[in-house]
Amino acid sequence: MLPWNYGFHWTAGTMIFMGAFYTVVVIVASTLVNAALRSRRALRTRQAERIRWAEDFHDLPARDRQCRHVLTGEFGYRECPNAFDCRQCETHAKLVASAAPDRISEPEEDIFGMAFPLDRVYHRGHTWVHSEPDGTVTVGLDDLGRRLLGEPDRVDLPQPGGRVSVNGTAWHAHKRNADVRILSPVDGEIVATGGPDAPWYLRIRPDRMDFRNLLGGHEIRPWVMREMERLQLALSAEGAAPTLADGGVPVQDIAAVYPQADWDAVCGEMFLEA
Amino acid sequence: MDREFITRGVKRCSGGKFLLWILPWVAMLIFGLYSAGLCLVKGLNQTNMDNRFAFGLWIFLDLTVIALGAGAFFTGFLLYILKMKELRAVINSAVVIGVVCYSGAMCALAVDVGQPLRFWFTFWYPNVHSMLTEVTFCITCYLTVLMIEYLPIVLKNRKLRDVPEFLVFEHELHKLIYVLAGVGTFLSFFHQGSLGGLYGVLRGRPFAFREGLAIWPSTFFLFILSAAAVGPSFVLLTTWLVEKISKKRLVRPEAMQMLGRISGLLLAVYVLLKTIDTLVWINRTSPGNGFPAAQYYAWHPFGTWILFTEIALLGMVPALILLTPKLRARTGWLVSAAAMACCGVALNRFVQTVQTLAVPTLSFDKFMTYTPSWQEVGTFLAVLAYGVLVYSFSFRYFQLFPDERELKLEVAQVEEEPALVGRY
Repeated sequence: MLPWNYGFHWTAGTMIFMGAFYTVVVIVASTLVNAALRSRRALRTRQAERIRWAEDFHDLPARDRQCRHVLTGEFGYRECPNAFDCRQCETHAKLVASAAPDRISEPEEDIFGMAFPLDRVYHRGHTWVHSEPDGTVTVGLDDLGRRLLGEPDRVDLPQPGGRVSVNGTAWHAHKRNADVRILSPVDGEIVATGGPDAPWYLRIRPDRMDFRNLLGGHEIRPWVMREMERLQLALSAEGAAPTLADGGVPVQDIAAVYPQADWDAVCGEMFLEA
Repeated sequence: MDREFITRGVKRCSGGKFLLWILPWVAMLIFGLYSAGLCLVKGLNQTNMDNRFAFGLWIFLDLTVIALGAGAFFTGFLLYILKMKELRAVINSAVVIGVVCYSGAMCALAVDVGQPLRFWFTFWYPNVHSMLTEVTFCITCYLTVLMIEYLPIVLKNRKLRDVPEFLVFEHELHKLIYVLAGVGTFLSFFHQGSLGGLYGVLRGRPFAFREGLAIWPSTFFLFILSAAAVGPSFVLLTTWLVEKISKKRLVRPEAMQMLGRISGLLLAVYVLLKTIDTLVWINRTSPGNGFPAAQYYAWHPFGTWILFTEIALLGMVPALILLTPKLRARTGWLVSAAAMACCGVALNRFVQTVQTLAVPTLSFDKFMTYTPSWQEVGTFLAVLAYGVLVYSFSFRYFQLFPDERELKLEVAQVEEEPALVGRY
């Protein structure tokens, strides 16, 4: 197939065949090189966490990718097109602008015996953000997330000075066979770390005080209701019999009462990790 | 022990059970490698092939697995080029099947050709007048493309994607996968065709010789069409088998039915063209070469039954089943029809390879039979075992069926529905 081969002749057929063959080789090679260059650029610009979430979100079951406005009944069915980052969502902005302001009468929502204080906003991966007077925010696990992990076997917190990004990894928690990646609700620099025994896990200096991606006020109750439904399903899928009686209160350490369940799968489902 | 390598939220059998499953296949592979080793070291005298039967079990195997492996290119074409999103549920499995089929065929071919250390001769000193050259170039390129398509599936392994470099490369490569799907379709089109063309140009074998279009005999087009038709059927059949063996729901019925419908449609076109081709061959091509077609079928066991079985029983019948929505909706019919279609293409490749060589063409020729030696069968079994092992490991550690986790939750939801109603 090479001009210096014995018996080689420049004919139309040979040229077409060679042209097609070498075009294919060039296309395949350039695709690989292109992917490698794009990867290098993505790594240099610290896109790995964004990509990880984009893939995780894509792999979530369709019902878990529902828009927050489905939870509140404003839509019958709508998959979130922004991977739960409502800061760029025009539909969300329009709906917020047209909605009546929240009238908060109680300081916290009590849902199935779980406390969801209304002075903070919530990420759908079960973290909350509380604004502090010094311009920082504290980030912690909400009551359902805390009960899912119970007393964690181990928590891997990032070092102060490091950065977190929305929907990127905030910290890792280990419980039984589960290695859970807790998603960050904000972009910013980590100022201090707490832990399971402290009132918060991370203190962060956010890049912007923009929490439009987080749930608050009247959205919390329907969201937690949906989360309880998802928990029930996740437990059933793992072979744990449904035991959440009407009006019952989830125990402090849910994992402990389901020793047979694959807790890694349950936590993956609830903390939105593929 | 290997839990952290298994996709989150899906259930796989215990390590011990898995070991028990792979053990017989490993034994078969070792036996096959020994057989292949004998052929490579001692030569083709270990086989029952000779100057008359230069093509035997291995070439039949090659042609069959390459046709069955066409599901990889065709599913990729339908998903990434024609945007049939339902097929996302089976694309990873189709790619693994493609990798297994093509790499297995290459291994068998390497044993058949021999002199593995001189494999590069075919690229450096190609015979530009041979269709095999096109086949070799296309299959090598396509296997490379398949390996690149397999790479994102491997890198998406739960443990591997913890490494940011792997995660990002997998993501970026997957974004460009449509380019590879297009290249794969182009390459498959030509090598499937050239494999058919190999037989169609055999003027000295009027049983196989066909007229055609320009330089391409009709078998060129029939091989492309039959491979595209049975590729989706084989993906369907494999998926069903894996579901049965693993006792899990892996794919929605809609995706299976879509595969069946596509397969049925192409199979119907193929059967129609094959029938026309056969009639032209019987009435024009063969008599024109001085051979009444009936005489090919006078040699038992290759009677006319084989023609009927290939075209009607294993071609038209499964095509009709797959094209009938009511029958397609029933798993039993769907899977049986897919299995029949796959057997049909295997029979076609058998006829093209073995019957072509068995039938005498010269006055002093005799009808010859051929039975493969145990070394040939061993090498065949090695390819089979290799395929099962690669697929088994891929199924265990990679996400071959992206809907599996969602389907598991859906099953739980169906069981839970009465309990959930009105609760929240």
